[in-house]
Amino acid sequence: MPFKRTPQKFNAAINAMTLGTGDNAVTIGGASVLPLYSFDGDIGNAPKIGVEISDLGLEGECVGMTEFYAGASTPAEMAAKAEKMPGADFVCLRLEGADPNGHNRSVEECVEIAKAVAGAISLPLVIEGCKNNEKDAELFEKIAAALEGKNVLFLSAKEENHKSVGAAVGLAYAQKVGAESSVDINLAKQLNVLLTQLGVKAENIAMNLGSAAAGYGFEYVASTMDRVKAAALGQNDAMLQMPVITPVASEAWSVKEAMVDEADFPEWGPQEDRGVRMEIATAAACLACGSDAVILKHPRSVATISAMVAALK
Amino acid sequence: MSKFVVIGERIHCISPAIREAMAKRDPAPILKRAKQQLQAGATYLDVNIGPAESDGEELMKWAVTTIQQAFDNVPLCLDTVNRKAIEAGISVYNRSKGKPIVNSADAGERIENIDLAAANDAITIALCQKHGIPADNDERMAYCQEMLERGMMLGMEPTDLWFDPLFLVIKGMQDKQLDCLEAIKMFTDMGLNTTGGLSNVSNGMPKDIRPIMDSAMVAMAMANGLSSAIANPCDLRLMETIKSCDVIRNNVLYADSYLSI
Repeated sequence: MPFKRTPQKFNAAINAMTLGTGDNAVTIGGASVLPLYSFDGDIGNAPKIGVEISDLGLEGECVGMTEFYAGASTPAEMAAKAEKMPGADFVCLRLEGADPNGHNRSVEECVEIAKAVAGAISLPLVIEGCKNNEKDAELFEKIAAALEGKNVLFLSAKEENHKSVGAAVGLAYAQKVGAESSVDINLAKQLNVLLTQLGVKAENIAMNLGSAAAGYGFEYVASTMDRVKAAALGQNDAMLQMPVITPVASEAWSVKEAMVDEADFPEWGPQEDRGVRMEIATAAACLACGSDAVILKHPRSVATISAMVAALK
Repeated sequence: MSKFVVIGERIHCISPAIREAMAKRDPAPILKRAKQQLQAGATYLDVNIGPAESDGEELMKWAVTTIQQAFDNVPLCLDTVNRKAIEAGISVYNRSKGKPIVNSADAGERIENIDLAAANDAITIALCQKHGIPADNDERMAYCQEMLERGMMLGMEPTDLWFDPLFLVIKGMQDKQLDCLEAIKMFTDMGLNTTGGLSNVSNGMPKDIRPIMDSAMVAMAMANGLSSAIANPCDLRLMETIKSCDVIRNNVLYADSYLSI
């Protein structure tokens, strides 16, 4: 009997979400098939890649990064270079320095940085906070106001601060809200329910389902993303049809394989190569599981993942 | 693993308000009940126009377009013994949100409603009865086979026949309840969809008892695989039970707010 290929069709789709405005706007999501299953049907918009820069500059970065950003001394100057990185679809400003337990940069200062970065680029902008819930809520409100009309995505609203972030970012200033749940599928759905009950439109929400560097519990990330896509497409669950955006750089570059010095582990080879490999492996795995966008930082990772996306779309 | 389908039963010409609205072509009372049921969580709405011998075709067309236009093409279950009226309803039906359901075919006089569903790419409820109430599950399964074969011969997907085991009233037929549950299990094991008039079981019971009995029945039936019911979605206890059972069956992903969505 000849083989008959049966495409897996769903009567549902992931929401398409546009970031930025005008000619350089970028749209993520829109798939009505499982991740990258272009042989089954419409994968919507091919996965997009964000390039992450930090308000702390290049502190502790490897040579490949310092060379790429050579001559850039401010976040705005870095952003201008980041958007020119081959493969970049959007720029992500991570406001690490705002952390009250770290540099504790003031909200006003962060707003100025965000405005300068937004002014220096034409690609869409994503703002990542410092992971302190109260500070992020304050930061996001002020930055959302300062960048009104630029259609910026904020990462992220969490269970603890979703009300203030949702109300400011999503309702008052009509920006895009990232809903962050750390590899907790029930919470992922719950946050979307809470944000929509607050009045944020489902199409203005993206999910950051959390991640882990490859080898550090990634199987939980994989099963979470699988279940989310199965519910979104197979069960037409509107509360899980938001596109998924995954910050990969911060995870991949903070594990032992990416951090330890070559002098301590000579058999592992150069540190920078290891970091890039971790970043590529994690990003590729996230895209295969269902991320509609990943956020990376190393030029080699961005180039590699961009080539992968181009080959698969 | 798909979500339980509640077919809201409250647009029924047995209700004086609805009967009058249908006679006068007054949309307001019908749309009001449609809205209540959809807000309460109904997926499909049953539209029962009675036998409507004189003006069934025109009435069904009016009801279908009136309800679908008001509620974003909500999928409907067309409920009448008047076959021409069902066909007329389907002729104006918008299927963007789901196929129409023919309510209903059986293995007896109404078996041709399967032909009607097949000819119109519709779903049909397939009542496992021929003459009166089936005596046992051998009889139910024989009717199931007969209807399934007829539908498949006409090119229907087996999943487009929703088998109704015939829920029976507890007051008077208490000893038949487990049969009905077993029939649901057998249909489910064959990969078939099931539905039925759930509130039959509590017929004749005091008003305050009925939601309790209906909820218990739906939970036991869902444990056996029941995939749909024609029921009153405005019964909060029943809907909470169905939503909880959907979670337990892994039909719907749990979230703390699952009862409010």
